[in-house]
Amino acid sequence: MNGSLFDIKECAIHDGPGLRQTVFLKGCPLRCSWCHNPEGLSARPELMVSPNGCTGCGRCREVCPLGGTMVGFGKPPGCTACGLCVTACPQRIRRVAGETVSAETLAARLMENADYYAGTGGGVTFSGGEPLMQADFVLETLRLLGPAVHTALETSGYGDENAFAAFTDAFNLILFDLKSMDDDIHRRYTGVSNRLILKNARRLCRGNTPFIFRIPVIPGVNDTEAHYRAVAELAQGAPSLLRVELLPYHITAGAKYALLQKAYQPGFETDRPIHIDLDIFTRHGIRSCVL
Amino acid sequence: MTDRIRRLKRYVITDKAHHALRFAPRDEYALAETFAQSGMGDMRRAGRRLIAMLEAETPVLLPEERIVLTRRNPTVFSMFTRAELERLPKERRIHERGDVSNIAVDYTRLLNVGLEAKREEIERCRAAFEAAGERDRADYLAMEAEILNAVMALCDRYRALAEREGRADVAACLAQVPRHAPRTFPEALQMFRILHFTMWLGGNYHNTVGRLDRFLYPYYRADRDAGRLTRETALEWLEEFFISFNRDSDLYPGMQQGDNGQSVMLGGRNPDGTSAFNELSELCLTASLELSLIDPKMNLRVDRDTPLDVFTMGTRLTKQGLGFPQYANDDVVIPALLAYGYAPEDAYNYGVAACWEFIVPGTGMDVPNIAAVSLAAAAQQAVADHLRQAEDFPALMAAVKANIRAQADDCMEHTKGLYLFPAPFLSLMMEGCVENGMDVSLGCRYNNYGIHGTGVATAADSLAAVRKYVYGDHSVGKEELLQALLRNFEGDGDLLAKLRFDAPKMGNNDPEVDDIAVELLDAFADSLEGKKNDRGGVFRAGTGTAMYYLWHAVTLPATADGRKRGEAIAANYSPSVFARVKGPVSILQSFSKAHLGRVCNGGPLTLELHDTLFRNEEAIQKVAVLVKSYMERGGHQLQLNAVNRDTLYEAQRHPQEHRNLIVRVWGWSGYFVELDKEYQDHIIKRMELSL
Repeated sequence: MNGSLFDIKECAIHDGPGLRQTVFLKGCPLRCSWCHNPEGLSARPELMVSPNGCTGCGRCREVCPLGGTMVGFGKPPGCTACGLCVTACPQRIRRVAGETVSAETLAARLMENADYYAGTGGGVTFSGGEPLMQADFVLETLRLLGPAVHTALETSGYGDENAFAAFTDAFNLILFDLKSMDDDIHRRYTGVSNRLILKNARRLCRGNTPFIFRIPVIPGVNDTEAHYRAVAELAQGAPSLLRVELLPYHITAGAKYALLQKAYQPGFETDRPIHIDLDIFTRHGIRSCVL
Repeated sequence: MTDRIRRLKRYVITDKAHHALRFAPRDEYALAETFAQSGMGDMRRAGRRLIAMLEAETPVLLPEERIVLTRRNPTVFSMFTRAELERLPKERRIHERGDVSNIAVDYTRLLNVGLEAKREEIERCRAAFEAAGERDRADYLAMEAEILNAVMALCDRYRALAEREGRADVAACLAQVPRHAPRTFPEALQMFRILHFTMWLGGNYHNTVGRLDRFLYPYYRADRDAGRLTRETALEWLEEFFISFNRDSDLYPGMQQGDNGQSVMLGGRNPDGTSAFNELSELCLTASLELSLIDPKMNLRVDRDTPLDVFTMGTRLTKQGLGFPQYANDDVVIPALLAYGYAPEDAYNYGVAACWEFIVPGTGMDVPNIAAVSLAAAAQQAVADHLRQAEDFPALMAAVKANIRAQADDCMEHTKGLYLFPAPFLSLMMEGCVENGMDVSLGCRYNNYGIHGTGVATAADSLAAVRKYVYGDHSVGKEELLQALLRNFEGDGDLLAKLRFDAPKMGNNDPEVDDIAVELLDAFADSLEGKKNDRGGVFRAGTGTAMYYLWHAVTLPATADGRKRGEAIAANYSPSVFARVKGPVSILQSFSKAHLGRVCNGGPLTLELHDTLFRNEEAIQKVAVLVKSYMERGGHQLQLNAVNRDTLYEAQRHPQEHRNLIVRVWGWSGYFVELDKEYQDHIIKRMELSL
């Protein structure tokens, strides 16, 4: 079985216990306006071009089947990410994000260093994109990794309920994003309703898989007492909740958009001071921290 | 940090208010002219110069300070005239500035006995030599006694001033030290200050500090046990003490501004297997963290039994962005020092030179940075001269190894006839100098020389590319490569990109290249093994580079790793500057494969970690786990930098607003904005390829 990923990052330290290898799966049903991994949105491979280092030699245009429509030395409209320009570029500043690999290949790659990471109390984390979009591939990879590898999932929670149920059984730890408890705000800033997400979140709260709620704290969007309180109320009493983590928005989230020749239009005031309140969680008997 | 320390720090570090107390610079050579006119010998000159420097000092007490001695005369008098200094290198082998530098003295030889008792001992030895008709030795010791008198006289002037100004605590301390042995921790700190101050006055540089947490610990323990100090009051003393290392450091002679070599070594394993890491070690890390100052530089000895807590304390300090602590692995270094011939009591007592070279206190007149072999040039020349004829890759490797051997032979040959300027004050803290009436510059128990090896990654990457493309898949022809290298890749963009970006690179845990690096370092160690220098010492191969990485890069033609002529090579034991590496774990894996105990002169793997990695206490503990894992894999030495590239760019644009930004340069940390643009750019470049 094949899946699509855009990166395997080594030595991740904010994605679960210990040091971890994090697999970034490609494709996401959400369109969060603060997304810092824009190459994870589309399920299809995409060409990324670094703006620095281009000497204007024109080799990319020479080999591009759509060369005539290329603006400057960027990406032509209708680019299929065929990759011809990637190896033609003498500066190697072009690459294709998105690699199709089999579960066997991925598992074998992760196993190469599994002992090292296990020695640090760590393991493997699946992130994205949205892993739920490639649930069968992920589950097959987990099966191949075996029970000795500690596995964690980073998810938006937006996905098929059965797939999510299977994930809660298969993973050792789940890092679950809660972007907004208000459906209107959720639709406005992520493009989808939070109905399915909250349903999965409630399943998580009832179950016995250790989990963490994560709030990407976006200025003016969800840095409100109302949101914090709603999360605290949802999480209160959940037996397997480890803690709530707040991840304050940072302006560098926009760094990769230019590489995809996309405009970064976050739709909120990016430089507004962020309101953080951990006391609400403390009052509900929930551990919390800012990452 | 107490308010008093905060005020002291502002006075000395931020405002540099004490600079206003300095006298006008004097003629550096005037004294040497009088020496030359009277035909004075070098031993006598060294002593007279130091005494003149001590006499040129006029006491001053800075506001609120309790550990005194501040330089006022900014000029270090030369012991040789300008003409003599020009002539000397033509006649003799001179190392750097000629002065004894970069060694570790045994401070306890003075610290624990007091200068008066030492003078009496000197007098006894002098009388014995005099009776035996050993005139030179007797004269030398007479001069040593004079030096001690001059040190005590300066301290008496300080005491008198303290009394006049009503600074009773300072006066009381100086009534005890340096004349008598210190009784308390604060007196020991003041005594150390006096000794270190005098070392700098004598023209010696890279005056390392050593195992502070061992030789000051008895004073600390006694004061704590007697209730004279609490943890907090001891920390305050220690912080004032650390500030004193920065007071005159801009006046210190050396090779580079900021490169003071005031290295402290903490922790370590005792011969009986117990740990030497103690409360004072912890306090030193805390003081360094709270103060965030360049000096003194912290080094930390660790081993397989070191608890994670110690690494965590170290990582908190790393987060400050000073580029230290630097870690040394006892499990690798001690066996290596034993193999070099150090006695167990010395091997277990090792510290670190100004940068990273492993040295032993009180017995080592080692010169751990006497020369350097360019591994990159050895590979480059082998490709240029032998690729055509070499039928297979092993044949090419044989040529590389022959080049390494030839360079090593050349380096060793050029160490002959080393002349070091006499260092009478340092000699008082080195084994045998008083007993034998002989200056340490002439040798001590150990007289080993260290030879750096630069560009191992450039060499391994180049050879891996040749093995893969020329001998492996034949995608690059021999002539094609040789011509491109000769042309410095002009018009060879495709080949350049393939070599530079697609070829295997050290730092990615890729056996295709890492195995070659192992072979290169083995060959380097082999080329020095069993050889003796003309002082009877051995040669130690090392993975450090010092400045050589810049010098060697300038003359190095284009290399088969896709590096153009003149482009930088990496500092120390690190991936090539343009290698795209997967991350720190792969780097640690690549750089722990070599037999590092055989190339153990010193030279750390350098890891640049983005400062966001240190976001919270949990993350800090994970970085500590990463550091520990390098040691568990057999790494010898590790140095980490927490850097944010944006901050560096910002500092280049607005240097005035970033005067306190400290970065690790190679073996030392300096203020970023004070560095030459060349170094600034190199550091930024290094950053761009890290996390």
